[in-house]
Amino acid sequence: MSARASQIGVRALLTVVALVALAAPLLSGDRYLLKVLVFVGLNVIVIAGLALLFGYAGQISLGHAGFVGIGAYGSAYLVGSVGVPWLVGVAAATALAATGGLLLALPSLRLKGHYLAMATLGFNEIMYVVFREARAITGGNDGLGGIPFPEVAGFSIDTPAGVYLLVWGVTLVVVLLVANIVRGRPGRTMRALHGTEIGTLACGVDVVRLKVRVFALSAALAGLSGALYAHAVGFVSPATFSLEHSVAMVAIVVVGGTGSLAGPLLAAIGLTLLPYADALIPGLSKETVALMQDWEADIYGIAMIAVIVFAPAGIGGLLKRWRRVPGGGEAA
Amino acid sequence: MGSAELLQYVIAGLKSGAIYALVALGFTLVYGSTGVINFAQGEFFMLGGMLSVFFYQMDLPLPVAGAAGVACTALIGVAFERIALRPRRDSGPLVLIIITIGGSMVLKSLARHAFGPNEATLPEFTAGPSLDFAGAAIERQTLWVWGLTLVAVLALTWLYRKTRFGRSMQACSLSHDAARLMGIDTARVVMVSFGLAAALGALAGLAVTPLTQTSWDVGAGAGLKGFAAAILGGLGNPVAAVAGGLLLGLLESLSIAFVSSTYKDAISLVVLLLVLFFRPQGLFGRARKEKV
Repeated sequence: MSARASQIGVRALLTVVALVALAAPLLSGDRYLLKVLVFVGLNVIVIAGLALLFGYAGQISLGHAGFVGIGAYGSAYLVGSVGVPWLVGVAAATALAATGGLLLALPSLRLKGHYLAMATLGFNEIMYVVFREARAITGGNDGLGGIPFPEVAGFSIDTPAGVYLLVWGVTLVVVLLVANIVRGRPGRTMRALHGTEIGTLACGVDVVRLKVRVFALSAALAGLSGALYAHAVGFVSPATFSLEHSVAMVAIVVVGGTGSLAGPLLAAIGLTLLPYADALIPGLSKETVALMQDWEADIYGIAMIAVIVFAPAGIGGLLKRWRRVPGGGEAA
Repeated sequence: MGSAELLQYVIAGLKSGAIYALVALGFTLVYGSTGVINFAQGEFFMLGGMLSVFFYQMDLPLPVAGAAGVACTALIGVAFERIALRPRRDSGPLVLIIITIGGSMVLKSLARHAFGPNEATLPEFTAGPSLDFAGAAIERQTLWVWGLTLVAVLALTWLYRKTRFGRSMQACSLSHDAARLMGIDTARVVMVSFGLAAALGALAGLAVTPLTQTSWDVGAGAGLKGFAAAILGGLGNPVAAVAGGLLLGLLESLSIAFVSSTYKDAISLVVLLLVLFFRPQGLFGRARKEKV
C-alpha cells in the first residue's frame, strides 16, 4: 500500500501547501503575516531534509541549526562583503553546508549506533563558538547586518511579497524534489533499511553510502534555508543557530512521524506557526501569544515525548490511518 | 611559563576534570544498563545546582540544602525513567534517545519557569583563603570537588563489585534477557541506574556551583563535556570514564595555557569528534566485533 498511499498523501499535501502559498499574499498585504509565512517556508525546507534523514534513513541530527548557520553566514559574507552575485552566493553557501555534512557524516555513519546524534551535537556547539568568535566574518555576538536583498538578473527582490514568493517558490521545488526521492529507488531502499538493515545489506545495497548521501542532502537543504533567511531578514546573529533550534527541529520531525513526508511538513507548518499564532488569529491577546512563546520549548518537548510514547508513527501515521479507514481495506 | 604557573593550570584542569568525570559516570551507568545515551544527563547537573540553591534560599543549612538538591534530582531521574522511558523500553535505541532529548527540553524549560532566568550561586562549603601548594593556589572548594568525586567513585566501585545489586547491573549490561531469566528484576535495575546517574550529575552540579555559578541553561554544555569524557575513556567502563574526565579537563586547561581561551570549548569538542571518528571504543576500551 505504502507507495500509492504516500503518493496520494504527497499530492494532497502539495495541493494544500500550494493553495496556502498562493492565496495568503493575495488575500492580504499584511507584512507581519508574510514575514511569519516566510519563516514557515524556511523551516519547511529544513524539515523536508530532516524528514528524509529521520523518517527514512533512521538517523537523528542535533546539528542542523549549525548547517543553517553555515548557509546564512556563508551567503551573507559572500554577497555582502565579497560582492559575488546573489545566486552564486546562495549556491556556494549551500554547497559549503553540503560539504560540511559530508565530512561529518562520513566517519560517524560508519559506526554502529547513534554516534551521529552526538557528533552532530558537538558540531553544532563548535559552529556556535565559531559564529560568535570569528568576528571578521560573522560580526561576533552583535551579528551581521545590512545583508543585501536577493537579486536575480538585475531585479532586486526587496518587497515582503516578493521575498515571500521567492521563499515559497524554492520551498515547493524542494518539497517536490524530496517527494521524488521518497517515491523513487532511494526511498524504497530506505524503507527496506527500516525493515532490516542486515537484509538490505545482503541485497547488495551500500547502506552507509546511502545514509551519507541523505545526510549531505539534508545539510545542503539546511544551508539553502539559512542562505535564504539571511537575505530575507537582512540580519543574522549566533543565537538563531544554537542547539535549541536543532533540537526543536528534531522535535518537529518526531511529531511528524517516520516514513512520511506529509506528516513532518504539516508538523513544521503547525509548530512554526505556534508562537506566531496572532498572525493567523487576529483577535488573539498579546498575553496568550507571550505565554505560548514562553512555553514553546515545553510544548515541543512534551509533544515529542507524547507522540513517541502514545502514537509513535506521529502525524504521518494518523494521516495513513485516516486514509485507510474509508476504504476499509489494508491492515498495518 | 614558570612551573608554579603550569601547576596552576594543571590544578584547574583536574578540577573541571573531576566534574566531567562525575557527569561521565552518569552516562556510563545508564548506557551500561540500557544501551542508551541519555541526552538528559546534563539537565541533572543543572538541577543539582539549581535545586540546592532553591533549598538554600529557603534558609536550610548548606549541607541539608545540598543533600536535598541531590536527592530530589535523583527522584526526578527515577520519575523520568518511570513515566517517559519505561512505556517504550522494548523499542530500539533511537526511540529511547528521542525520549531523553524530549526530557532534556522539558526539564530545562521547566527549570527556567520555576527558578527564573538569572544566574544563581552558593557559598563555598568551607570558607577561607586558598591553600598554597608548591607556589600554586588551591581553592578550598576545589578540594571539596575532588573529595566528593573520590567518594562517589569509591562508593560506585563498591556497589558494582561487592553488592548483589551491582552484579545485577553488570548482568543487565551484558544481556537483559539472560538477566531476566536469572531472576533479576531488570526494570528495577534500569530505574535505579537512572536515579544514581541523576544523583551523580546533581552532585557535580552542586559541587561546582560555588565556583562557577549556575543557571537553567548550563545542562547542555555540562552534558556534552561529560559525554566527551565518557567517550574519551570508553563508554560503559566506570574507571575509564573517570580517567577520560580528568584527561579532558587537563586537555582543556592546557589548551587555554598554550593555545587560546577563546576556542577552549571548541577544542574539547574537536577532541570528541576525533575520538568518535577514529577510536569510538575510547582510549582505554577494546573494540567489539558486531555479531549478526
